[in-house]
Formats: sequence, structure tokens, C-alpha cells
Amino acid sequence: MSEKLAKIIFWGGTLSSLALFLALTVDTHRQFDALTHADRLDEQVVAGKRAFEKYNCNDCHTILGFGGYFAPDLTRAYTRLGEDAIARRLQAPEVAFADSFRKMPQQNLSQQEIADIVAYLRWVSHIENHDWPPQDSTRRWKRSTQNLLASATLSPGAALVKQEDCLACHKLGDAGTAKGPRFEWIGAKRSAQWIATYLENPEKLAPGAAMPAYAHLSPEQRQLVGEFLVSLAASHGR
Amino acid sequence: MTHKSQSVAYPYFVVSLLLFGLQVLMGLWLATNYFATVPQAIVDAFPFSTARAFHTNLLVLWLLLGFMGATYYLVPEETNSELYSPKLALIQLGLLSVTGVVALVGFVFGWTQGRPLLEIPRPLDFLVVIGALMFLFNVGMTIIKAKRWTMTQGSLLAGLFFLAILYLFGIPFYRNLAVDWYYWWWVVHLWVEGAWELIAAAMTAYMLMKLTGVERRIVEKWLYVELGLFLFTGIAGTGHHYYWLGAPKYWLAVGGIFSALEPFPILLMVYDTWRDIKHRKEPMKPKLTWVYLVGGVILHFVGAGLFGFAHTLPQINYYTHGSQVTVSHGHLAFYGAYVLLNLTFYYFAIPRIKGFPGFEYDEKTGHTGFWLTALGVLGMSLAFAVAGVLQTYLERVQGQPYMLAAQPIRFWMFVAFVHGLVVLAGVFLTIKHLLTLRPAAQPATA
Ligand code: HEM
Ligand code: HEM
Ligand SMILES: [Fe+2]
Repeated sequence: MSEKLAKIIFWGGTLSSLALFLALTVDTHRQFDALTHADRLDEQVVAGKRAFEKYNCNDCHTILGFGGYFAPDLTRAYTRLGEDAIARRLQAPEVAFADSFRKMPQQNLSQQEIADIVAYLRWVSHIENHDWPPQDSTRRWKRSTQNLLASATLSPGAALVKQEDCLACHKLGDAGTAKGPRFEWIGAKRSAQWIATYLENPEKLAPGAAMPAYAHLSPEQRQLVGEFLVSLAASHGR
Repeated sequence: MTHKSQSVAYPYFVVSLLLFGLQVLMGLWLATNYFATVPQAIVDAFPFSTARAFHTNLLVLWLLLGFMGATYYLVPEETNSELYSPKLALIQLGLLSVTGVVALVGFVFGWTQGRPLLEIPRPLDFLVVIGALMFLFNVGMTIIKAKRWTMTQGSLLAGLFFLAILYLFGIPFYRNLAVDWYYWWWVVHLWVEGAWELIAAAMTAYMLMKLTGVERRIVEKWLYVELGLFLFTGIAGTGHHYYWLGAPKYWLAVGGIFSALEPFPILLMVYDTWRDIKHRKEPMKPKLTWVYLVGGVILHFVGAGLFGFAHTLPQINYYTHGSQVTVSHGHLAFYGAYVLLNLTFYYFAIPRIKGFPGFEYDEKTGHTGFWLTALGVLGMSLAFAVAGVLQTYLERVQGQPYMLAAQPIRFWMFVAFVHGLVVLAGVFLTIKHLLTLRPAAQPATA
């Protein structure tokens, strides 16, 4: 190889890659607003981002998959957990994670900061990022839920969920509200037995949760609801 | 050593080695958090996040100080003149060290920018920029006054200049998270797969010229090709971090294709080293310097090239992104490419700065230090890799909640910790050996 050819490779390689990269950067900026729903990026969301940075949340939790890998990814925390569960974890991590083998620090956030972070995570959860992460993919939740709802008329647990109007606070597939955690996620995390006990008196297992007690249901009925939630997880992955 | 002012490199090496030791200690504490249950009271006072900021910032700081020290050693020899101002170089070291210490103490008290790897608060960023300007000014004036320009120092300087410019993109507050990460990678990716590769290629080429006696013309010709391929693949290859952050879909194609080519320039570096060794005019001495140089070139290829390629295609990255697979690659790549590069340079330069006869030194504990560290890091990276594959399968494919999937991973993080103890022992021996380097006992045939 001649010295001249070597220099051509250097300049040709560098400049062509740089030109492509800068051109795509300009185009990406043109598309960011639509892909991230920048119209919903209001001052409270920005305040939430500042609080998120102030407490260095990102060095334990990934968000969009970047950051520390020590704790769950937060890209879709809002769709997975809902407002109340997020707020409870920020308010009293020492209680929320009392049974966990891994703890989250109590950093004494103000009520305002908690509300801001919840708004921030709500905005983040809508970023269109080609359906990452797979474990929180709504497409996958929906497909599995659809299969399930097709047979829901046969399930007494599903009928109870409907009767008690649980979806006024929880999400299931496309339906429901993100105040409490998503049912598919609860089903993957807990046993039917745990859910049945929890329904009787949530305060005992999750102090401070904004979840009403369902003590008026019989133990058998509560067990049926638990089995229904666990069955949601089964159709999701395994 | 041909010029007196080259010796300002030495204090840079000393400070960087001490920071390296502290970095590894913090790594062990991080791994402990993974396999043990740290009580709430300790978590409240010194959470994982703070320790991680220590671990990664110490890494970056000591590597940069090493690069700067190496540059101060190299430039006078390449320009054939004394450094413009050795005193300014020492002031700069003081400034950067103080900034580093203030940053670390600040982290403990929650003074942070709160963005991974860029945690240093903005007022301190300002001091870092001043330090970088002092550095570029000092080196630039040396070259301008000497009016002697070589390709090797040119690429080293281009790398350092490029590095300083890119740092600026990490300073502003970005309102939009996607834009934030877009530019975060201009610092992180374009550093390790752009600017720093220029530095690595230049430092390696320089040492090869000095150690083998192979002609500059040949080494520098291949250096052009290496750099061209590094930048061709590395710049557009940034796209392998843009798959899932809310950017358009074409990044899956651009990032995938360009980054999949990134191993080739690293392979070329392995080949160039091998060719220079074959055509060497000098004996391969001292042996330990060569163990470091060759070991570094090979592990650079394994950690960055092979482990990087393993998860760079979007079809795979969809499942491995942001998991312990990333950690595995991060460790082996940083160690293979940049830790070993700096340590090789220290073993190359210190005997020359201290004027040892024949530049030979008493190598014994140095070999033990090398092998303990290298095998320890390799074992640790493999343990992270097993943990990562488990996490990918349990959490991302099966859909288990994060903390459930984390249970079986605890064991592998313990395995990583045990290898980390070996790393600590090796690093301790290496630091001690370098800081107390002695001339070789009388050469047998002298
Ligand atoms: C005793 C030795 C070490 C142990 C046990 C260790 C352990 C760890 C742990 C547990 C993390 C946190 C991963 C997370 O975010 O969850 C980490 C991060 C990191 N460590 Fe180490 N480490 C050690 C030495 C090193 C060395 C020698 C290097 C440099 C070559 C290094 C470079 C890094 C980097 C770059 C990160 C950030 C990783 C990423 O963002 O993917 N560590 N380390
Ligand atoms: C010496 C060079 C390199 C170093 C020091 C290095 C280091 C790192 C580090 C520390 C990270 C994690 C960053 C974070 O999220 O905190 C990372 C991510 C990554 N690296 Fe490298 N890397 C190098 C070269 C390469 C090469 C050559 C490739 C591809 C062939 C590659 C592919 C990747 C990919 C795909 C990721 C993203 C992983 C994810 O999605 O989580 N790297 N690298
Ligand atoms: Fe990269």
C-alpha cells in the first residue's frame, strides 16, 4: 500500500462517516418532537427530570436502558406500576422494600418532587422507541390479554375483577387506569396465595398503599382473583 | 528520555495509579451490593448510586491523567524540543486532582449532575475545561515553537483535541430525555470508540517504533489506515446506542452496519503489532513491557471487538440492552483497551525517566501483578456475562419482573466478586511494582 492511498483511506473514511452522521443528526432532530411527544413535555415534566437528576436515581436505575443496572428499568415504570405505586416507593422506600433483598435509599423527597417525578415518568413512558424494553412491551401485554379475554367469560376470577371494578385503578391490556400497578405485572411477580391475602387487608403487606380492602369477598373468591392474575403472567411469556 | 521536561509525566503516572487502586476498591463494594443485602441505614448514607459514580469517575479521571502524562512524555521527544512549560503541566495536574477530590467528596453529600458517567457538577466541569485548555495550550505551544510535526504526535493530539470538544456536549441541561441521551453518547461512545482509539493507536505506534526499531515511515503509513477505519466505523457506529431512545428507525440499520465493522480496525492494530514484531531490529526486551503491549492489543480486540460485536446488532441488542451483558463488555473493553495501554506506557516510560541502564528493570512481581489482574478481569467479565445472559432470558424473554430475575443472578455476582478480589491483589502488586521500580540486577553478559 502506498502512503498516498493510506491518506486517501484516512480522509475518505473519516469525512464520509462524519457527513452521514451529521446529516442524520439533523434529520433526527426534526423527528424527535413527534417521537417523544414533546407537546406534552411541560414544566412539571422538566421539574421531574431535574429532581430525577438531583437524587441521582439514574445511577441505580436504567431509563431507556442507560444508567446503573442495579434496579429495574424505569422507561415504562408508569405503565407497569401506575401513579400510586411509584409515589409510595419514593415516599417510603424503607417500607416498600422492607422484604426485598435489595434496598432503595430514603432520600426525603418533598411531596412536590414526588408529583413531578411521577409526571416525568408518565411522559417518558410514552416515548416511541420501537417497543423497548421487551419485558414491558404493551404490544406483548395486549396480545396475551386478548387471548385471555377471549376465554374470560369462562373464568370466575375475571368476572369478580369486573364486578368489583378493579380496572378503575389498575390496567389490564388496553383497559383500565394507571393508578395502581398493571395486572399482568402483579401476576408475574406474586403468587395467587399472596394476592388473596393482600386483598383481605392491603395495609398489612403494603403499608400506605392507596388500595382498598376486599374483606367482603370470601377467601375462595379472593383466591380465584389471585389465580386469575397469575394466569395473566403465564400467557405473557412462559 | 532525551529531554529533561519529559519527566513531568512521572507525577501524572503516580496520581493516576493511586486513583486506579481506589477505583477497584469501589468496584468490590458495588459487587457486594449485588450479592449481599446491605442494610437500609447504610443504603441511606452511601447508596449504590454514589459508589457507582465513584467507580466510573475514578476510572475516567485516572485514564485521562495517564493519557496526558504520556503525551507530555512523548511530545518533547517527537518535536525534539523541551516542553513549553513543565511548571504549567504541574499546575494543571494539581488543578485536575483537586477537582477530582472535590467531586468525589461532593458525591457523598449529594452534589451531583445526576447523569451516569457525567456526574461531575457543572461548576466543576468548568475547572475540567480549564485544565484541558492548559494542557492543549502547553502541548500546542511546544509543537508550534519547535515547528516539527509528526504523524504520531498529530494523531495523539487530534484525539485529545477531539476528546475535549466532545466533553462540552455533556455539560448542558437537556429538557428532553431522548435528546439528553443522544448527546450523552457523543461524549461516551465518541470517546471510547473515536477519540480514545486515536490516542491508543498513536501511543501504541510510538512504543512499537521505539521498541522494535521499525522504520517510522512504515508504522505511520499503517497508522493512517487504522485511524481512517476507526473513524469510518466509529462515527456512524454511534448509532448502535440510538436504537431504543426514541430516535428514527434508520438508526437500527446505520448503527448495526457501521458498528459491526468496528472490530476490523482493532484487528488491523493486532496485525500491525505482529508485523512490527516480525521485522524488529531490536531484541524483545524488557519482557514484561512486551507482555503488557501484546496482552493489551489482544484483549483490546477481545473486549471491544468480540464482546462488543456480540451485542451490537439490533436484533440481539433488543434483548441485551442495559443488562449485565453490557457490564461484561464494559469491563473487558476498558481494561483491554485503555487500562493496559496506560500501564504499558508506564512500564515503557518510567525506566527511561529514571534513566535505568538499558531501560531494563527488575520485573519479577510485575509479572505476577499482570497475570493476577488480567485473569481476574477476564474471570469477572465472564461471570458478568453469565449473569447477563441469565437476566436477558429470565427478564426480557420470559418476562419475569426484574427483582425475581435478579435472584439467580446473585450467585454469579458473587463469582464476579471473588474474581474481583484477585483483581485487587493484582492491581495492588502492579501499583506497588510501578511506584518502586528498580533497575535490573546486573545484566548477566555485561
Ligand atoms: C474488583 C474489580 C471490579 C469490580 C468487582 C467491579 C464491579 C462493578 C460493578 C458491580 C459495576 C456496576 C454495574 C451496574 O451498574 O450495575 C461496575 C461498573 C463499571 N466498572 Fe467495574 N468493577 C471492577 C473493576 C473495574 C475495572 C478495573 C474497570 C476498568 C477497566 C471497571 C470499569 C467499570 C465501568 C466502565 C463500569 C460502568 C459499566 C457500564 O456502564 O456498563 N471496573 N463495576
Ligand atoms: C475500547 C473500546 C470500547 C470501550 C471502552 C467500550 C465500553 C463500553 C461501555 C462502558 C458501555 C456501557 C455504557 C453504558 O451504557 O453505561 C458500552 C456499551 C456498548 N458497546 Fe462498547 N466499548 C468499546 C468498543 C465497542 C465496540 C468496538 C463495539 C461494537 C463492535 C461496542 C459495542 C457496544 C454496544 C452495542 C453497547 C451498548 C450495550 C447496551 O445496549 O446496553 N463497544 N461500551
Ligand atoms: Fe459504542
